[in-house]
Amino acid sequence: MSRDFYTSSILPYAAIIIKICRAYTNTQEDFEDYYQEVCLQIWKSRDNFREQSKWSTWVYRLSLNVCLTLLKKKKNSHQQFASDSLIQEEIEEGHQFVDESLNQLYDAIKQLSEIDRGVILLYLEEKSYQEIADIIDTNPNNIGVRIKRIKERLKKLLYGKVN
Amino acid sequence: MEKSIESIWKEGFLKKDALVAPKLNNLYNQKSKHIIDKFQRMYQINRIAIAAFALIVLPVSFISKLPYLGVLMFIAFAIIIAVSGRFMKKLKAINTGDTSYQYLNSFNEFIKDLLSVNEKLSRFLYPYIFIAIILGFWFGDIGGNIPGKEFVSKLIVDYPDMQLVLGLPLIGIFGATFIIFILALFGGIIGTWDINLVYSGVIKKLEELIGDMEELRN
Repeated sequence: MSRDFYTSSILPYAAIIIKICRAYTNTQEDFEDYYQEVCLQIWKSRDNFREQSKWSTWVYRLSLNVCLTLLKKKKNSHQQFASDSLIQEEIEEGHQFVDESLNQLYDAIKQLSEIDRGVILLYLEEKSYQEIADIIDTNPNNIGVRIKRIKERLKKLLYGKVN
Repeated sequence: MEKSIESIWKEGFLKKDALVAPKLNNLYNQKSKHIIDKFQRMYQINRIAIAAFALIVLPVSFISKLPYLGVLMFIAFAIIIAVSGRFMKKLKAINTGDTSYQYLNSFNEFIKDLLSVNEKLSRFLYPYIFIAIILGFWFGDIGGNIPGKEFVSKLIVDYPDMQLVLGLPLIGIFGATFIIFILALFGGIIGTWDINLVYSGVIKKLEELIGDMEELRN
């Protein structure tokens, strides 16, 4: 991957990649691994970008897909080889943001289903319902209801923590 | 006051250091570790399975009154375990180097070495196993009648004109020699196919990773 490609095509979207990767990982090591994998997949798949959507939409979609794939692989590998104590250890060693409220919000987001995590991240990034639907490949009519339900769940999870 | 999730999100990411992108200077580090760990696990499981099979074959062969077959097969498995033990030591001693690229290249060299030794060993091992089966069934049980000789005696009754060399049917000698020759000739290919059958996923992934890394370096 050339420095130019990274600087011009990935770095402007690094924030959303970071936010997505954080939502699907529990350790700094995993986060860095996911981030690197997303960047690599963007670079490797760059020729598949057909300009039918915006580059940013394509980056979001790819980031989510990579994270979901890695998460699935990790789950399978844990099922095969790791014990529950190892998973617990990873959660305890989780990375933290400076802002405590943000940490609590992330903890709540991580309790959502994998797809709902993607939806709420895109919503919080102020993507339109149409864009969110394009990225997660679903009907835009359902997005509004889904976001409402996710927000209610998050409020429930955060209630008493954030004041 | 309860904050909305939108404001937690916006304010949280305004803080310094909330969005620090990791450096891309050690790409594939985790992947390299995963692929080599996976191979190591598979290789170790394979070795244990062969050792277990060798330990089962020996008593079962005595119970089945085919002890020569059992002992010869046990020797074959012992050779495989000894050779794989040497490779296991090599695998553990792979130089991790300074980068994932060096690590994966060392692993690639290891795989090439393993495939080369396996190919040579298979040229000897497959004919050996065939001979072990023939001899095992020929001599049967220790101290008992020799089934091979009894078989030839019956053949002579049915085919009195059959040519014998040292008490063995000439056609049988030709047939066995031909099979041994074929096994020696194609043993290497069979051995490589056998390895690929088990480890092709890891080997393919390794090639992909090294290919990616070389592209990244250029």
